Amino acid sequence: MNLLDKRVLFFGGKGGVGKTTVAAAVALQFANQAKRTLLVSTDPAHSTSDILEVQLDSEPTAVEENLWAMEIDPETETQAYIDDVKERISESIAPRLVKEVERQIDVARMSPGAEESAVFERFAKILCDEDYQFDRYVFDTAPTGHTIRLLSLPELMTVWISGLISQRRKVNILGKMWRNVAGSAAAGSEHDDPVLEALEARKSRFERAREIITNKDESAFVFVLTPERLPILETERAVKTLQRYDVPIGAIVVNQVLPAEVQGEFLARRKEREKKYLEQIKESFQELTTFEIRQYDGDVVGRDVLLGLANETFNHPA
Amino acid sequence: MDPRQIKKALASALDIYEGIFLAPYRSAIHREYRDQRDLFLLLTFSDLLGVPNPISFYTLELYPELIEQFHNWHLRMGLNEPPEGGFRCC
Repeated sequence: MNLLDKRVLFFGGKGGVGKTTVAAAVALQFANQAKRTLLVSTDPAHSTSDILEVQLDSEPTAVEENLWAMEIDPETETQAYIDDVKERISESIAPRLVKEVERQIDVARMSPGAEESAVFERFAKILCDEDYQFDRYVFDTAPTGHTIRLLSLPELMTVWISGLISQRRKVNILGKMWRNVAGSAAAGSEHDDPVLEALEARKSRFERAREIITNKDESAFVFVLTPERLPILETERAVKTLQRYDVPIGAIVVNQVLPAEVQGEFLARRKEREKKYLEQIKESFQELTTFEIRQYDGDVVGRDVLLGLANETFNHPA
Repeated sequence: MDPRQIKKALASALDIYEGIFLAPYRSAIHREYRDQRDLFLLLTFSDLLGVPNPISFYTLELYPELIEQFHNWHLRMGLNEPPEGGFRCC
């Protein structure tokens, strides 16, 4: 199956290799082919706005015909979740406690993992929400480490939440037995236990997200790298990790390849070294499709340049 | 026999039955119910006791539902105040 036929594409790689540029170019190409496309950036650096020359926020903004784009901001997402919890708390506890409890919850947003959990929450919502009906989803992800964590979260979370659910079920059964023998009216059955409901809803969202991420007919992860030593090493490790989590790898995009004919001794030496790395890439990722993007002499910014880049790159693999 | 006396005899027979069979069963169930609820609480908010919990951020939303139980728990454990660094409930 062709890479560009997948419904969901993730672009990732080491910081600074140009994944945001490549993701934007692919999204533009989809839109240009009359596919309703959503470009989502989960990178806190938020260069998508700069590249498309449009101011984006955390809701889909129309960029041009068939193309919407948004940037998920970890801080905003964390705040939104915290606010939601606070609102629910004010409904269910004594007013005199509210202040103290809210202070406590504000502390929780500083806890390790809070931001990545909030980003994942939003990410899963975009993928699973029926309201967002797009033909193509293009995710521009944060640098490798973050992304791998993000994509492996559903599995980890599902295990934990399943444990919580089975414990909660046990509690509910015992509660029912207790109410029977205690003779009090058996008020509240398993079905209206709000705790169990919240857990179940969360679990099914995790599972759905994982289903989409790991379905090789539906989605693929694309690694962007430059023909240099460190990006190659990092990508090799990342490919192995994602494969362990059953995330399908779609392709390798080698960015900033020098043109075949270079002038001057300095560039000639660089070209020589680059050749070695290109060979290494071919060898390391031989089972994957590889695309090469040439180095540009100008800024790669704006619609026309990006569309041109996508057209000359993705129509023929290297 | 006076129907009122029959009623009274039956009621005390029921009391004896309860005392002999149901009461121990009832307290055993109550103990188990309480223990399992505490375990659930521990699994949900284990990070408050210093045990890392990868989904503590997500279990935050269960807090409104569980705050009262948490309060009962720390009283029962002999702590007049909730554990240091944890949620405040009183």
